Amino acid sequence: MVNTLDPQNMNNFSEASVSIEIETEDMTLNIGPQHPSTHGVLRLVAKVDGEKVHDVKPVLGYMHRGYEKLAEVRSYPQITTLVNRIDWVAGFSNEIPFIAGAERLMEIEVPERAKHIRLILNEMARISSHFVFNGAYALEVGALTPIFYAMEDRERVLDLIESVTGGRFHPNFNRIGGVKPAAGAGPTSKKNIQDLPAGFYRDTKVAMEKVIKAADQFQNLIGGNEVFKKRTKNVGILTPEIAEAYGVSGPILRASGVKSDLRTHTDYLPYDQFDFEIPVGENGDCYDRWDVRVKEMVESAKIVLQAIDSMPSGPLQAKVPKVIKVPKGRTYVRAENPKGEMGYYIISDGGLGPYRLKVRTASFSNISILPIMLEGALLPDLIAIMGSLDFVLGDVDR
Amino acid sequence: MEDFFNKIKESFTNTTLEFETINIKVDSIDWIDTHKKLKDGFNLKFFSWLSAVDWDNDVSVGEAPKESVSPNFEIITCLSDLANTNLITVSTKIDKSDPKIESLVEIYGGANWHEREAYEMFGINFENHPNLEKLYLPDGYEGNPMLKSFELISREVKPWPGEVDVEGMPEESGSDKSPDG
Repeated sequence: MVNTLDPQNMNNFSEASVSIEIETEDMTLNIGPQHPSTHGVLRLVAKVDGEKVHDVKPVLGYMHRGYEKLAEVRSYPQITTLVNRIDWVAGFSNEIPFIAGAERLMEIEVPERAKHIRLILNEMARISSHFVFNGAYALEVGALTPIFYAMEDRERVLDLIESVTGGRFHPNFNRIGGVKPAAGAGPTSKKNIQDLPAGFYRDTKVAMEKVIKAADQFQNLIGGNEVFKKRTKNVGILTPEIAEAYGVSGPILRASGVKSDLRTHTDYLPYDQFDFEIPVGENGDCYDRWDVRVKEMVESAKIVLQAIDSMPSGPLQAKVPKVIKVPKGRTYVRAENPKGEMGYYIISDGGLGPYRLKVRTASFSNISILPIMLEGALLPDLIAIMGSLDFVLGDVDR
Repeated sequence: MEDFFNKIKESFTNTTLEFETINIKVDSIDWIDTHKKLKDGFNLKFFSWLSAVDWDNDVSVGEAPKESVSPNFEIITCLSDLANTNLITVSTKIDKSDPKIESLVEIYGGANWHEREAYEMFGINFENHPNLEKLYLPDGYEGNPMLKSFELISREVKPWPGEVDVEGMPEESGSDKSPDG
């Protein structure tokens, strides 16, 4: 009795039917741009030989908004509004490296309290992004239930982000030199600025404990599911060598066994003050990419819990000039975003806006390996592999 | 990082270290050799990005450079080492009248899409690129949008009110506060 669920055997079947029984022709299959599994408007043009996929061509640009060009005609404070919309699942994280770059060129020392608030919200953005991944990925490989749990739990985190920033997806909360007074903080007079809304610490504690519980639940509900394991284990294996050469970063890289996290390598936020693990995968398959993200959620929740316990007091804003002019110079600031390395290369000529702003996004490099990973894969695995890369088209096309 | 910078200085002439990033300037002839050396000799295996800058005095978007520049394209790549904090940008300048440079795809596979983007946005030809087609822009699109001479049509139709923010802020809103209001 052959186990038909074994991908190895399925490979043999398709080969047998191709070479012996009938002469087949390659069929060109157009997936997207409006396919639900493409997280936006990615289009794949795949050649399909029976059930086997080869020669996949991603077609980009359906979401291209030209942020790099738009940034050239805007001032620095205006650009934060733009960059919010790059990876809209974790809007807050997009602001951080840009603001950090401008601050670095202006030599502004950000108050500790502002840094901590940034860090907390950044980790919450990571958690909410991974919640979306958990729900959506399970859905893509055929499990309907987890997305309802994931969306409910994510809403709790988004509520917290909203209570501080006033926005669920596009906070636009960072200012050069610090953060703005929180939305839910009530009237702000000069002498008595309340920065975080009442009950924020308490609500955060509750929410983060729920996140840890939810991650545990996902480990059982999704990770313990035999069908999920069959669909994802040993599927879409990515070697660290290819990942490095293609600039693949974030959880995908770590799932391939590379222990690399910019939170420990750079000082854009004070991550060195907190204890957290960097989850690493072994095989670099779809299952590991899922597993690493679930474990990361727990670590992020732990960071947030530590951060609210050690929250320093003090001002939210450093002294900055009223009209922000960034001195002549150039810098590249990179940050560990939920999807990987995001960075901004700012070339300033001393004007109100940058002369050139290069936006390095994680998903762009992450999906550039799709043609390699999908070469020779089975058609049902295409969705499993694509989903495990967890990309957002705003992050790809910019 | 300091040790690493000293090592880099021994091998390359035009180097600077600012903001924890090492910048190497090379001639466009040495473009390929530099990257080979950095990848194999200095273990910078992570290809972060490649992009270009259009240096021109005659601009139709944004502000022109304050000091006059000789028009050229600057091509920049960013490489790093995943095991530590080493981070390098390599830059070279090429002539605008004949914008071409060797493709890095053979060395870093990830350069493929980045070069295609630079090709469509700036019109730079990457020689020996396996598939130098437009990446984002639709077929038949004319022009290279990231050039400083390329106009933003929406700005032509309706001027951006951004100038107002910069000039006429009322004094009462607190002169020592941040500009968020």
